[in-house]
Amino acid sequence: MAQQRKALWEADLDEDLQDVDLSLAIGSYGQNGLYDDVQPRIDETTLLAVQQQVAQQQAFAQIPDVVKRFIAHFHQAVLDNNLVEITVAYESGWNRLTEKYYSKTEWPEAEVIAPLVNDDQIFLILYRELYYRHVYSRLNPDIDDRFHSYENSCELFNYLLNSDGPVPLELPEQWLWDIIDEFIYQFQSFCVWRSKVKSKTDEEIALLAEGSQVWSSYSVLNVLYSLIQKSKINEHLVALQQGKSPEEIAEIVGEYGTRPLYKLLGYFSIIGLLRVHSLLGDFTLALKVMENVELNQKSPFTRVTACHVTTYYYVGFCYIMLRRYTDAIRAFVSILNFILRMRQYHTRSYQYDQINKTADRMYALFAICNALSPTRVDDNISNIVKERYGEQFAKMSRGEEGIPAFEELFLYACPKFITANPPPYEDADLLPAYIEDPPVEPAQRHLQLFLAEVRAQAPVPTLRSFLKLYTSLDASKLANFLDADEEDMVQQLMVMKQASRSVSRVDEKGLLDGQWISTSDLDFVINENMVHIAESTVGRRYAGWFIRNTEHAQRVLDTLRNAPLPIPPKAAGAAKPAEAAASSTATARTGGKQVAWGSAKAA
Amino acid sequence: MATITAGNWASPPTRPPLIETLVSGVDRYNPSNVGILEDYLYHQIRSQEYDCLANLAILKLYQFNPDLYNPDVVINILIKALTSAPFPDFSLCISLLDERPPSASGSGAGANPDEPDPLPQLLPVLSTLHALLQQCRFPRFWALYRSDEVEALRDNYTVECVGFEDAVRDVAVRAVKAAFTSISSERLGSYLDLSGDDLTAYVEKLGWSIDASTGVVSIPPNPDNQIESTVVQENIQLPQLVKVITHAAQTSLPVVPAVN
Repeated sequence: MAQQRKALWEADLDEDLQDVDLSLAIGSYGQNGLYDDVQPRIDETTLLAVQQQVAQQQAFAQIPDVVKRFIAHFHQAVLDNNLVEITVAYESGWNRLTEKYYSKTEWPEAEVIAPLVNDDQIFLILYRELYYRHVYSRLNPDIDDRFHSYENSCELFNYLLNSDGPVPLELPEQWLWDIIDEFIYQFQSFCVWRSKVKSKTDEEIALLAEGSQVWSSYSVLNVLYSLIQKSKINEHLVALQQGKSPEEIAEIVGEYGTRPLYKLLGYFSIIGLLRVHSLLGDFTLALKVMENVELNQKSPFTRVTACHVTTYYYVGFCYIMLRRYTDAIRAFVSILNFILRMRQYHTRSYQYDQINKTADRMYALFAICNALSPTRVDDNISNIVKERYGEQFAKMSRGEEGIPAFEELFLYACPKFITANPPPYEDADLLPAYIEDPPVEPAQRHLQLFLAEVRAQAPVPTLRSFLKLYTSLDASKLANFLDADEEDMVQQLMVMKQASRSVSRVDEKGLLDGQWISTSDLDFVINENMVHIAESTVGRRYAGWFIRNTEHAQRVLDTLRNAPLPIPPKAAGAAKPAEAAASSTATARTGGKQVAWGSAKAA
Repeated sequence: MATITAGNWASPPTRPPLIETLVSGVDRYNPSNVGILEDYLYHQIRSQEYDCLANLAILKLYQFNPDLYNPDVVINILIKALTSAPFPDFSLCISLLDERPPSASGSGAGANPDEPDPLPQLLPVLSTLHALLQQCRFPRFWALYRSDEVEALRDNYTVECVGFEDAVRDVAVRAVKAAFTSISSERLGSYLDLSGDDLTAYVEKLGWSIDASTGVVSIPPNPDNQIESTVVQENIQLPQLVKVITHAAQTSLPVVPAVN
């Protein structure tokens, strides 16, 4: 019976696979003299191949037609380097079909859909990039997914970096960002998963022991640095700052750097490095790699909002770990205001959710910074912080008893730290010891270091509240009020002085540079035993508010002025020109058929 | 020890070009460069120089290549970082020490069954010393530092670090200078662990003056010990308004027709 089935499907078999399996099976079993086994064995291997084939065909048959059409269309868009259509397929089509058909299962495997795209290897790599991203975000990636997504990333970067010259591929900015973002997310996810030894099966342990290079820190850094070097992005950024002309810049960055694909991948890789170094606890290096990036939104290098949000989140966090709370506050205020202003433009839910989550963590970090370095700051943002974290903020402003609140917010808002090295999977002797006595989790280590700093500053809020009441005061009297030893209290005053000073960027270029500035409105000095206090009051600021609202009013007026006069409802679809255009060209290509994923109603 | 200022922390003027290349480029990841950076650390130990970023680069290499790990180097890095308080260098270094149980795994070329890794013993001591400096508890720092508990650290490490005690005094001097306009010599002496002629000489070297009759040390004015009550008023600059004005000029129609 099996024989029959084999004959039936033989024509469809992949020839290489069939040859290899047959000869191998015959060879080994013939020598063993287990002649009886040969026939069934052949059948078994063949059967396996056949079954696989059948399974693939069945899987193929099960793909809904609309998905097949989508993939074929997507493939064509990539072949044509048609950014508009790729964007529609990527941002709208993929997500819509995911919701409809694949919200709880994987997309069809790349091998299954290969016939739809003429076995185009490059497209299949891109397809797998989306396939695995979907697995990571919606499902539970198993060890095979984790290994294979790594291999696929390697293939993608290998294609981009080691082809003969720059590759003729164009992808939307958002997708390029997502490629780097996802690459690092999967690395981080792998490291966290890898560090949990207890839940691993024997098979997983064996695979992890073997594949110690998979998702290694070096391999990840290597990709990011290669993209940076290939695109000459640092040279590009420096040239921009020097005001070089586009022609001069083209000369400097060469054949790779002039292409948007490489230029953006290079830029995103710098942000990627910032993130990887932060995750590994190297906050200094994280800021150092950002040397040439200018943090302002006046001339953004990219329009990808998620990239800005990531950049400021990690920069702000690194500043906290460098105890530069004012710089952290500045970073958070700037991006949080940006997010507030951008809010109306974010309709794509998958990004919007992510951005909102990060924003919320930044409000928490802002509360931490403001408790440690109380300064007059942006009212807009402080009001939101009061709403969300008012309770924790009040506790944190009370010194020692606020430590649990610091801990809570830090753990909630810190990056998902990782360790650089795997547990000793390859060493059967060490592994049990490791399980017995697991190392402290990285987030806990960084938390403890941070809390040590908080504890050192713990007496400051109380001292501050007393000093605020006086213009001068005898040290022994102050010690009496505080029920403290005078010498101890004087030492605490020195701590307070140090806490009111900080390195901060004033007009320096690099993120690590800065000047020693005063960050507090309350200052004091000790003359032998007399404490003299001076307070600075900051008048209320109006300009920013008025400027922002004037600009807003101007925009509203412009929109009104430019709006067409009321016209018949038929042409109302033109309100979304990009998508409308996309759907009309798509329609033309597929011979007048309606393209479900590209309709103007997509959003 | 060269004074640490905010401006040159990231790139101290004493840093040689070779180290600059390593610190700023991708070669910092190359394990075969660890020797160069370690030599540079020992140069810092001998010559009272300090380069935090170069030392962090060593710890980075150890983080990625646990077999390079050398506890003596780590301890020396921490000793150097200790005296940069109130800057966070010490914590930044600790952040990079991956939570590998150094003794249990016994990994690393330097591991030797006869010579147990000294770091697990010394790390808590160093952390306590650091916490005391961070909290400006200078008298307690000196008491602990001179105690038997810290003997191993003193005899094997800080004795080799040229100018270590003066570097600690620098930490205290920075704190005092910012908070005081004058301070009794007993108090200052307890912070610096100096008394009598040693203290007088030290104070003079700093350029501070000591009143022989009262024993009060005056600290010259500096930006941190000069206080002043101020009211900061908002000061709007034209550039802030450029966008609004330009836009208005471009789009507004004259409300009143120009009169000839």
